[in-house]
Amino acid sequence: MTPEVLVFDILAVIAIIAGIGVVVSRNPVHSAVALVVTFVNLAGIFVMLRAEFLAAVQIIVYTGAILVLVLFVIMLVDMDDLPEFHGGAPLQRLSAIVIGLILLGEVAAAVVTRTVVGQPGPWNEETIAAAGGNVQVLGQFLYSGYVLPIQAVAIVLLVGTIGALVMARPDEITTRTRGRTTGTISLGHSRGADLVALPSGAPTARVIHREDMRDGLVMVTSADAYTEQAAWAGTDVPSEPGAAEYPTGAGIGSEENR
Amino acid sequence: MSDQPLWISFVVGFIVLNVLLIGMAYMTWAERKVMAYMQDRIGPNRTGPFGLLQPIADAVKLIGKEDLIPKFADKRIFVIAPLVSFVTAPLAGLVIPFGDQVTIAGRQINLYATDINIAVLYVLALSSIGVYGIILGGYASANRYSLLGALRSAAQVVSYEIALGLSLVGVFIISGSLSLVDILNQQRQTLDLFGTGLQIPNWFIFYQPLAFVIFLIAAVAETNRLPFDLPEAETELISGFHTEYSGFRFSFYFLAEYISMIVISLFAATLFLGGTDGPIADGAWWLILKAMIFLFFYIWLRTTLPRFRYDQLMGIAWKVLLPLALLNIVVTGFVRLAFNNQLW
Amino acid sequence: MGELTATHFLLLSAALFITGMMGVLTRRNVLVIFMSVELMVNAVNVSFVGFAWEQNSMIGQTFALFVIGIAAAEAVLGLGIVMALSRRADTVDVAEVTELRD
Repeated sequence: MTPEVLVFDILAVIAIIAGIGVVVSRNPVHSAVALVVTFVNLAGIFVMLRAEFLAAVQIIVYTGAILVLVLFVIMLVDMDDLPEFHGGAPLQRLSAIVIGLILLGEVAAAVVTRTVVGQPGPWNEETIAAAGGNVQVLGQFLYSGYVLPIQAVAIVLLVGTIGALVMARPDEITTRTRGRTTGTISLGHSRGADLVALPSGAPTARVIHREDMRDGLVMVTSADAYTEQAAWAGTDVPSEPGAAEYPTGAGIGSEENR
Repeated sequence: MSDQPLWISFVVGFIVLNVLLIGMAYMTWAERKVMAYMQDRIGPNRTGPFGLLQPIADAVKLIGKEDLIPKFADKRIFVIAPLVSFVTAPLAGLVIPFGDQVTIAGRQINLYATDINIAVLYVLALSSIGVYGIILGGYASANRYSLLGALRSAAQVVSYEIALGLSLVGVFIISGSLSLVDILNQQRQTLDLFGTGLQIPNWFIFYQPLAFVIFLIAAVAETNRLPFDLPEAETELISGFHTEYSGFRFSFYFLAEYISMIVISLFAATLFLGGTDGPIADGAWWLILKAMIFLFFYIWLRTTLPRFRYDQLMGIAWKVLLPLALLNIVVTGFVRLAFNNQLW
Repeated sequence: MGELTATHFLLLSAALFITGMMGVLTRRNVLVIFMSVELMVNAVNVSFVGFAWEQNSMIGQTFALFVIGIAAAEAVLGLGIVMALSRRADTVDVAEVTELRD
């Protein structure tokens, strides 16, 4: 067994195990990490296949950008524990494994008994080294015969970017014309991160009475109104600023203040 | 690489790794001392003469801390995440040429671990994998502030990586090769400035000043250093993605940042300032001197500038650095085509 | 096994492709389905480059490069669809999204 076969065996076995890990993992983040492992091993295999530039591109583009994007989406999308792992359809799982193995056997038989057709090309190791290396040869090849496909891929990427921008825009952009301007959120309160929706058509400033001061939040609808209202005032807001009475007793958020 | 046996490459790589680790430890000392003198105080001076044993004291403290894993954290990923950052950081140092060849015990040994023909892309690829250390660390902490800090930091690193890569395309257009040894050899020639007899070295900073500036800014942002360290500053989001990490795991992130600083400084010195090329006696000391200039620049930035806000930070990457890098590529391509590099 | 031939790489490509295909057919989480599709695309890339290596040609590597580029565009759009889907249907389970069927 030559060292190349040994290296290939190690890389291939780890890649296949990680590939199975992608499909089998319960947690999608574990699937993504397993896919990273697969891609890095495949990059190693590309280096063995004398495609070093492709290996670097695979890691920079696939692992470093696409999978990062997938991880972002996994973390930003609220996922619940899907029923697929709670004893649902074990027959489906078993038949998947059996069919997979049968297919693998068929393809393996086809691959092992194949005959090579066609003429081999000119780019073996000596000619590639003579022309300056894998990157130089690939560059010459791409930019002399394949300029149009490169431009087409550039347009596809541009369309993809624009499409993603359009699709990922929030839906509430049309409701903004309905009179809601600003709101203030108190993060000092225990439930401070809950967003408070302002009623549409509210006046620019309003006097907050204690009984409708909702859990320590002061609601205003414009930035000017906020500066004239004391956010901590528990009693009626006085007409001139600065003359507010400081509330006595417990602070904002206590049971007494509601 | 094919001209020396594999075990010699391993030994050289091992030596490079140890040099990087020691350099990183004393980089922390140097940072504290230089920051202190810039802030008109002394810095560590109790542990050993001039505080030189301070990194060892820090290491002992960090190792001795309790290893806390949060209850709802994803244990496997919590353990693996800092390792991803810490392992990919020094791997980039394997392709940096510290010199030509020395003859030790009758053998010719290259002073670099390997000479791969895609060396620069290899470094970029390693920093792409390093992003996973940040994202997975933030995710595994089971802390929504860590997650937000991690996503912010990952978005920042990915955006500045683009500017970093594109700024290097100008260098590739001029040098015609991605291999660092080739780039170094090309910078060793001397130029005759406009034919007046004034000799300057053929360093790429004279060809690509804009790319140099973009590279420096993007490099500071890549390593999450001030003024771009919003995702991990202690006052923002409770120190971001490494909030829940303590003790030795935290030190992995911390040290990974310093190692990547050192590697990027070596990298910038090789790509733009000619690496080991110097007026007298070419050698590794020039490379180290130039790298130390960049490291001083890093510390200087940290002491002097305030932090960018996140939207300003992303705005700089996408609205300033990216168009400038593209403009640089266009102009460089035009110059190369029209003048065939004979501008000077 | 002896020498390294293209058969090794084609078997690896087949194994990865079939694993990805079973992932697409069996799983219900749309993001895992997406990742299985990426696994299939990479398996095909391996077979392209394997053939290019065997036949001493550069066309396989060129094709694989274009495949990576197009897969990037597909990933961007696919993940946009996933985010829009999760916002509308409030789930990432493909078995729950049955509006067109019912």
